Amino acid sequence: MFLEIQNINKSFGNEKIVKDLNFSLAPQKTLSVLGKSGCGKTSMLKIIGGLLKADSGKIMLDGIDISFLQAEKRNIVYLYQEDLLFPHLNVFENIAFGLRIKKQKEEHIQSKVKEMLELLELGNQGEKMPHQLSGGQRQRVSFGRAIIINPSLLLLDEPFGSLDTGTRQRMQQLFKDIAHKFKITSLFVTHDLKEAILMGDEIAFMQNGKLKVYENKEEFIADPSTGVQNEIGFWESLISKEQKISTL
Amino acid sequence: MPISLRPFFLSAMVLLILFPFIYLIWLSLSADWSFPSVLPNYFGLKNWKALLISETGLLWSFFQSVIISISVGLTSTLIGFVISRNIAYHPRKNTLTLLSYFPYIISPVVFGACLSYFFLKMGIFGQMTGVIIAQFMISFPYALIFFNSFWGEKTKNMEALVSTLGGNRFYSFTKVLLPLAKGMLLVCFFQTFLISWFEYGLTSVIGVGKVQTLTIKVFLFIRESNYFYGALSCCLLILPPLVLMYINKKYVFNKLT
Repeated sequence: MFLEIQNINKSFGNEKIVKDLNFSLAPQKTLSVLGKSGCGKTSMLKIIGGLLKADSGKIMLDGIDISFLQAEKRNIVYLYQEDLLFPHLNVFENIAFGLRIKKQKEEHIQSKVKEMLELLELGNQGEKMPHQLSGGQRQRVSFGRAIIINPSLLLLDEPFGSLDTGTRQRMQQLFKDIAHKFKITSLFVTHDLKEAILMGDEIAFMQNGKLKVYENKEEFIADPSTGVQNEIGFWESLISKEQKISTL
Repeated sequence: MPISLRPFFLSAMVLLILFPFIYLIWLSLSADWSFPSVLPNYFGLKNWKALLISETGLLWSFFQSVIISISVGLTSTLIGFVISRNIAYHPRKNTLTLLSYFPYIISPVVFGACLSYFFLKMGIFGQMTGVIIAQFMISFPYALIFFNSFWGEKTKNMEALVSTLGGNRFYSFTKVLLPLAKGMLLVCFFQTFLISWFEYGLTSVIGVGKVQTLTIKVFLFIRESNYFYGALSCCLLILPPLVLMYINKKYVFNKLT
């Protein structure tokens, strides 16, 4: 497997945030992780990204143990809910940021960023400053900045949480297209049930620091603890009420 | 038609504000002016020419003050920026911030007296280095308090993002944090420069008369009843703050608004 997480544990004081985390992920796949706020999703992503130190456990990426590597050497990009564009840099320079860290040649940077701008449908926005963009555009720039450096793994922490429904749907499709084109392996954390089902090739549910990865989406839907059954029940009762009213 | 008193009132206010400055310049150009003469017996550039005479030591005091204040402003701003980050992210942030106020709860003279023993032992008592270090000790906590508001969850996340993109801490400082804080850094430099520029109590104790900054010189002239040289040194004293105000307005304030 491309990503293997083995027995990861993390506590803050007496509180266990991540409990015995074990899962693996094949290359070029997206694992959706559904969970309520405070269940340990963000801590899990931060541990994998090297931003938080695990108390115990092992992280293997493409056969290499990266558990003790610093975040900057892991080639794993962590994307926040907030786009976190650098306000002093224009769109072009924001996207080029990672390439400049890697000291790539200027011609290479120019061509790669222009290509990325076109792909993100931001072809003529390169000179704009972040404050001149809409929420969706900002999030697209944020994606471009992460993907352009070709990360081994992309960690997405509720990236569309602050977007309106329409923009959110467009961004979901855009992410799926880009992930496919760039052969990205990713962990997609969300608290939105529908989004979790839509975005993941595989699906997992996190509750009180414990992660359960499902064999398939049917198993996930059938599990009452995920809340899918409740959701289905809600819509079914609504529909049957509507039908009763219309027959009367 | 009713007469509006507003223009007269405004003119009077402007005159009132400008009067001390005009009077200072007037005094600095005057000499031999005693009671009951309404106007000075001499009016010209004699005092200003005296700037170049080594006897008054005004020019040296001016340059010495500039060197001290720039050193204090630069060091406290840059070190304050870096250290304030550590304080802001520290689990005992509140206690450490409270400690930053410590130098301000005692008077500068008492603070200077407390420091003098250690400075004497270190051999920097009565030296420019000693004055710079002493002034740094009061302007540095100011910088810490000033930059406190800059750091937060957003800067923390930005630093984390830079590191996952492959950048080290130095890279995130030079390419993200410092450019983001550019305006604040300039304002902090101006403020700490001014704290140092107008500092009297601590400088007089640590400098023991050997380090005569412009502020010390003003008090010396006033004590000697040499009002004309006093006014002249005051004119020099307000020159850098005026330049800083201009720069502040042109390059910082205009960009912030």
